[in-house]
Amino acid sequence: MLSSPWDAAKDMESAAALAKELGNWNEVSDFYRRASELYMECGRPQPASDALVKAARALEDTIPDAAVQLYNEASAILEEDGKEQMTFDLYCAASSVYVKLEKYSAAATSLLQLGLAADKCNATNSQCKAYLGAIIMYLYAHDFKQAEKCYNDCSQVDAFLRSDQNRCASKLLSAYTEGDIEEIKRLAQSSTVSNLDHVVIKLARKLPTGDVSALKTDAAVEEEEPLDENDLT
Amino acid sequence: MTVIDLVMRVDSICKKFDKYDVDKQKNLNAAGDDAFARLYSVVEAGLDAVLQKSEAAKIEKSRATAVATNAEIRRTKARLLEEIPKLQRLAFKQVKGLSKEEREARSDLVAALKDRIEAVADGNISAAKQGGDSAPSASYGGIKFGSTYDGRFDDDYFQQTEESDQFRQEYEMRRMKQDQGLDVISEGLDALKNMAHDMNEELDRQVPLMDEIDDKVDRATSDLKTTNVRLKDTVNKMRSSRNFCIDIILLVIILGIASYLYK
Repeated sequence: MLSSPWDAAKDMESAAALAKELGNWNEVSDFYRRASELYMECGRPQPASDALVKAARALEDTIPDAAVQLYNEASAILEEDGKEQMTFDLYCAASSVYVKLEKYSAAATSLLQLGLAADKCNATNSQCKAYLGAIIMYLYAHDFKQAEKCYNDCSQVDAFLRSDQNRCASKLLSAYTEGDIEEIKRLAQSSTVSNLDHVVIKLARKLPTGDVSALKTDAAVEEEEPLDENDLT
Repeated sequence: MTVIDLVMRVDSICKKFDKYDVDKQKNLNAAGDDAFARLYSVVEAGLDAVLQKSEAAKIEKSRATAVATNAEIRRTKARLLEEIPKLQRLAFKQVKGLSKEEREARSDLVAALKDRIEAVADGNISAAKQGGDSAPSASYGGIKFGSTYDGRFDDDYFQQTEESDQFRQEYEMRRMKQDQGLDVISEGLDALKNMAHDMNEELDRQVPLMDEIDDKVDRATSDLKTTNVRLKDTVNKMRSSRNFCIDIILLVIILGIASYLYK
């Protein structure tokens, strides 16, 4: 048998690179996908996911939706192979593309998936940074309830509970409930936030978006109702 | 006695004593009574399953799976709570052979069931358990500087002279500078800690890659060794002097012919 899927895959990749230079974006993604399939035929999932990542990088600027799709597929291949440690960069890149597309909750979901992958390989630092990044993402989208829910869920993870990022997140959320803009800005400049991914740092520096005082009044109203019930009894 | 005989005897004995099997009787009685009892038993079975899952989630070590199980529990609870209004409606229906007190008891049962469903723990506890906000990370205990002086000396205690005033001011300035310096140091330490963590993770990431490289290089080395041995054998076979002389003679002949042709 003369078939050699490895060589075929390598040739497909070169074809895709040429298509990229010509600007035929559909062909780029098709060729890279075919190359990835051929690599999987050879039983080599790493080059397969690498091919998809190259495709995603090529399409980031032109067709961001397709790029995100490719990143997710590449991450899925790596996770099937049990190589979650390689997926961190992919999830980071996927979330930055989502941010460019202004789909902040999707970006936060990517970061939470990063957190899950980090949990599987005991990479606690990356996990905590991912969770803090997700919370900041929700706050940037001005979705305070989601941010709080996210924070509550993440606090159940021991590694996050004991970390610096947890304290920073709790201070940020309490600053939001109190409507303290100065505190929010100060926290965004702190070293904990400055160690995150640069996309997240940019978003954090722009906090608070929208009207923080509205959140303050909401929180105050919520506190009053339980008191009323107590008065009636 | 064969196995089949044993099985048949066991079956007949079980049938004889079936009336003493409490669980079975309960199930037989529950079914076929009326719609209310049936639905009630179904919801109760669902509630038991949810309780079991929540117990499993409580002792679950992996937090990520616990979160996933809690989400599942929440969904099942919502589904069970949807059945409650149906149950309530059935409880109010008149069924023959049922007295008024029993009907009221049924609606009480429904309310109690609803409370039990809602009481199932589903991990929706807000993170109020912030273990030590003021403690520094890695809980090495609060690092306290032994400074009791707060700069609040009352004038009653002593009379200020110019010198002591100046001294106090200088002290304050130096203290502020120290604080600034310590802030700079703490930022630097934060950066170092972050870098160290990242390096740690990077090294962890590279360990399996190194193992793979190790395996592949070992395989390549052994292949090379076998190839070398075979090459050596082949060259030894080819190097026998007779073949060598024949090669040289033939070469000379060919050169002679070529030179003759081109002369």
